[in-house]
Order: sequence, then structure tokens, then C-alpha cells
Amino acid sequence: MPPAAETKLGYTPPDGGWGWAVVLGAFISIGFSYAFPKSLTVYFKEIQAYFSVSYSEIAWVSSVMLATMYAAGPVSSILVNRYGSRPVVMVGGLMVSSGMVLASFGTSIIHLYLCVGVIGGLGLAFNLQPSLAIVGTYFHVKRPLANGLAMTGSPVVLFTLAPLNQFLFDCFGWRGSFLILGAIVLNCCVAGALMRPVKKSVKPQPKTETPPAASEEDGARSSDFQIEENQTESRCQGCAHRFIDFSLFKHRGFLIYLIGNVVMFFGLFAPVVFLAPYARHQGIDEYSSAFLLSIFALVDMFVRPLTGLLGNTKWIRPRIQYFFSFAVFFNGVCHLLCPLAQGYVGLVLYTVVFGMAFGMLCALLFEVLMDLIGAQHFSSAVGLVTIIECGPVLLGPPISGALVDAFGDYKYMFYACGVILSACGIFFFVMHFYNYKKLDEERKQSLAAERRTSEEAVKLKMSPDDKAAYEAEG
Amino acid sequence: MQSIRVTVQLENDKYTLRQVFKIVSKENLGSYSCSFGDEAKADFLLAGPQIGEVRDKPIVSYVGDSVVVKCKMDEKKPKPASWNWYKANGTDKEQIFYAAEPQKYEIKNHEWVTKLVVHKLTEGDSGFYYCEGVYAVSTTMGHVELKVITFLEPLKPFIAIIVEVIVLVAAILIYEKSQSKKNSAGGNETNADQTNTPTPGDNNGPEESSSTRQRKV
Repeated sequence: MPPAAETKLGYTPPDGGWGWAVVLGAFISIGFSYAFPKSLTVYFKEIQAYFSVSYSEIAWVSSVMLATMYAAGPVSSILVNRYGSRPVVMVGGLMVSSGMVLASFGTSIIHLYLCVGVIGGLGLAFNLQPSLAIVGTYFHVKRPLANGLAMTGSPVVLFTLAPLNQFLFDCFGWRGSFLILGAIVLNCCVAGALMRPVKKSVKPQPKTETPPAASEEDGARSSDFQIEENQTESRCQGCAHRFIDFSLFKHRGFLIYLIGNVVMFFGLFAPVVFLAPYARHQGIDEYSSAFLLSIFALVDMFVRPLTGLLGNTKWIRPRIQYFFSFAVFFNGVCHLLCPLAQGYVGLVLYTVVFGMAFGMLCALLFEVLMDLIGAQHFSSAVGLVTIIECGPVLLGPPISGALVDAFGDYKYMFYACGVILSACGIFFFVMHFYNYKKLDEERKQSLAAERRTSEEAVKLKMSPDDKAAYEAEG
Repeated sequence: MQSIRVTVQLENDKYTLRQVFKIVSKENLGSYSCSFGDEAKADFLLAGPQIGEVRDKPIVSYVGDSVVVKCKMDEKKPKPASWNWYKANGTDKEQIFYAAEPQKYEIKNHEWVTKLVVHKLTEGDSGFYYCEGVYAVSTTMGHVELKVITFLEPLKPFIAIIVEVIVLVAAILIYEKSQSKKNSAGGNETNADQTNTPTPGDNNGPEESSSTRQRKV
């Protein structure tokens, strides 16, 4: 782990203490963001009958919510850059809550699209990005572990919400359940309250008062920064006050991550969506098929913190991008081998392996972005990434569904997903090999340059004294 | 119990009995069995199709709202000729209703599915509803329970959770305020040190450290 990385933030992250409370808050927020849209499917059958609509029309509620959550990423980033994580998360919690409460009085399906889909999705976006960003500000040494723990929120909340939603539905019908869910999701405000802004005590104050000066100086010193431009640098103090940092698109690591992820997301979620239908297609009964998803969530929730722990070790941390590439490739291989699974035992085995692969990937998903970009720019980066990923996330399952319908067989869908993920894994591996080499070269160059300039500075310091001595003599 | 005696000839080492029965009405349904002396016996149960998908747990709805109660016949079985709906009234007294009260009830039948829509629910509408699929020779019945509750029911847990959230948020923020008060009260001197130490650093080495610092930052 390069020691110089710490000074790039401008302060020393606590790496513990209140940071763990922040991880708990992020756990809750991330958990709700990912699990909430998926868990609403319990109510769809009754709402479909109530409003007399087709299943695809009701499924749109989840899709609109997911789409809004991803598309509102940049808005979230801008707000976090300006106001910090805490107020944004609390407002997000209030938004989802009010969306659900309004939806419980809904009189038409459009009402649900707007309240649950748009308002709810926006609120979840205001929960997801700030949670990811704030973990990066509190941790550096233990960051992979903190990220792994925070991302574990998703399977844990899903595992809890699914039976809870069923219970609420049996007791209160869909309207009462939406009302109570509105209250439950308000706990995101509790998560937000935990997200105390980190004390940047080492950084002196004047930095925040000079954003216009900093941007001018940036232009003048741009030539000096060519060398470090692609490294994880907090190169301008005024970044926190800018809106979105579009210069990220010139960042080599960011581009690798973006391109790889966009392709990867086409094949990532489809197997999760089609796991239970595939099992039923094989002749397995409904309850055992649903149980597969529970196994998946259970494996997932244990693998994520373990992956975080592994990612923190001194062997993996410096080359964590390779670990991520391996996780993506592992997913691909898992899906390619799925059609070989026979019977229920085979499917359970596949689910366990898939759960491990998926958990590994998700635990590292944002950690590697932080590793490439640095905590300062992470907020803008994650906003840009999520809005671009919005497309593949939404299109992936329907395209896979079309594949299944076209061939009448699930195995081609698994092959397609497997090929996409394996190819992405190889892409990441190759590109990061190249990127690490480049980074090492640049680091060597900048160290050499620093040595040169410090020698020159010593000479410069000597000359005014020489001059004064000369004048004194003269 | 009716009994028919048939003499069977041996064909290809097997004794085969084949009998054709005409199922005309409900009386023709039931249990049939054939026996070969004391050596072999086979039982058959002839029955009409049974209702497939019915919700076993109660449907919950709200006063003033409307609800859809659904009964579905398995699509592999033949379509019922017609459907009837009954509401349980008391112990086992059942009332048949059609479009006698069109404002209140709506029956929508579509092939294998029948839907009863009840509007303007009141608490008296709670109870068991029976859907009856009618065939030429048999009828089949399924039942669904409806529970009508007021909005006060979910409101209680709703308010309880809101109170919990407010208490937790207040506790966390108050804890933070008290922590920062402790820090500012005991750490005023340390704060002064922190603001002082960078400035001498800035003054002493602007030439040597600033250029390197510019590079790092």
C-alpha cells in the first residue's frame, strides 16, 4: 500500500471510531436502496387484480423505481458535493417515506408509478450515493473491509424485507402495508443521522475560502499536473464546491471501470431474476424454487464482509483491481457451467457458487472505483457511473427474457450472461495490468521530478541569501 | 350400491373387463370398483373438476374501498358452464346474489376465472365468500375469506415506528452535540495549537515546501 496515498486526501481518515457507526448507517441506506424495489414484488399480484392491469404494467413500478434511482445519481452527487452526505440521506429517507404513504392512498396505477416509482426512486438515489461516498471519507487503511460491510446491507435487508412484506400483506393488505413500509423506510433518516461529517482537523481552513483562486491556479499549474493527473489526487481544493467533475472522463482508470461495468451489467442481474423461474422450468415446486433465492441471499451476506476482509490484506490491497477482475470472471464461469447442473441438488450447488461470486463482485464494486479515483472525486464519479449504468441495468433482464422466449430454453441465456461476464473479467484484467504499469511509471517519474524540484528550491533559497550577503558586502 | 356381474373369457393369458358407463347427471358420479373374485380389485373415483387456485389466507381490505375476490379453475380442466357466488350468512346459511345490487357487487366471468368485485366495503362485508363452478354433471365450490378493517389498524404500527425513528434520530444528534461540547470545552488549547502549527510551517518554508506541497495537493 503506497504510504503517499494518505496525504492525497489532505487529512488522515479516522479508520475506526465513529467510522463504524457510519458503516452501520451506510449498511441501512444501501440495504434499503437495493432491496426495497425487489421486495415490493410480493404485492404485485393483488395490486394487479385491484387495478385490473397486466403483469408487465405492474412490474413497471419496480423498473421505474430502479431507473430513477440510477438516473438521479448525478443529482445526488451534486447535492453531496455541496451539502455533505447527512442532509441528503435524511431528505432521501423522507422522500421515500412520503412516496409510500401517498401511494397507499393511490387510486390508479399512474399514481403508483409517480409515488413509488419516481418519488421513491429519487429518495433511494439520495440514500445510495451519499452512503457510498461517506464510507470513503472515514476509512482508508480499512476501506475494503468497511465497503464490504456496508454493501452487506443489501442481502440482509432483502432477506428481512421479503418475509416481512409477506406478513404485512397478510395482515393489512397492500394499502396498509405501503403505509407501514413508509414508516419502516423512514429508518433511513436514522442512518442519515449517524453520518456525521468527518472531522478534517489536519487540513487548514484557508483552503475552503479560495475556490476561484484554486481554479485559476489549476490552469496555470496544469502542465505540472500532467504527470499526476491520472492518479488518485485531490488536486484542487475547490472540487468540493464544483458541481460534477466531468474531467473524470479523461481519467484512465475511470474509463476502464465505466466501459467494463456498462457491458457487465447487461449480464449481471438477469440470472438472479430468472433463478426461480428456471428452477420451476426444471420441474421444481414453487416453494423450493423460492428457497433457492433465500440460499442465494444467505451465501451473499456472508461472502461480502469476507471479501472485504480479504481485500484488506497486504497481498491483495495493492492489486485489488485484479481481485475484482477475478470476481467478474468467476461469475461468468459460474453461469457457463449452470446448464450442467442437474436436479435440485445441482441447482442448489449452482446457487451457492453464484451467491459467492455475486457477493464478491458486489463487495468490491465500489471499492475498486474508490481505489481508482480517490475519496474526493468519488461522489461525482459514482453519480456519473450510475446514470450511465441505468441503461444496462434496465435492459438486461428484458433482453435475457427475450432470449429465453426466443429459444424456449434457459441455457442460452446463461451462456450469454456467462460469456459477457467472462469477457468483462478478462477485459478488466488486461486493462488493469496496463494501468498498473502506467501508474508505476508515472509514480517513478513524479518522484524523480520531486527530487529535481526540491534540489532547485534549495538552490533558489540559497540565492536571495547570497544576494543579500553580496549587497551587504557591496 | 349397484352391482353388475360379467363373465369374462381368457384372451392371451389375460382376463380383461371393459365396461362403458354413461355419466348423465350427478348421481352417476362417485366410487366405482371392479373385482375378479377374491384375486384382484380396482377402485375408481369419478368426480367433477375441483377448484384450482383459491387464496387460503384471508383477503384484507378497507372500509370504503373496493375489493376483487378471485376464483380460478385449473386451465387443464374443462371450463365451467357458469359461475355462482354465495356469501356465508350465519353458520351455514348461504345467500345467492346476482346483479341484484349492481352498485355493490359486480361479477366478471372469463373462461376459467371468476371475479367478484365488492364496492363500498363495510365491516359487515367480512366473512366467507363461496364461488361455485357449475358443470353439466357436477358443481364445485371454493371459498375465500374477506376481512374488512379500518385505516386505524395499520395506523397504529405506523405511528409506533415513526416515534421510534424520531427518538433514535434525536438521541443520535443529542449525543453528537454533547460530544462536540466536551471536545470544544476541553480542547480549546489544542485547537489553538492546531491552527498555529501549520502557519509557522507556511511562513518558514514557502519556497522549499510550497512547490512540493503544490505537487502533492
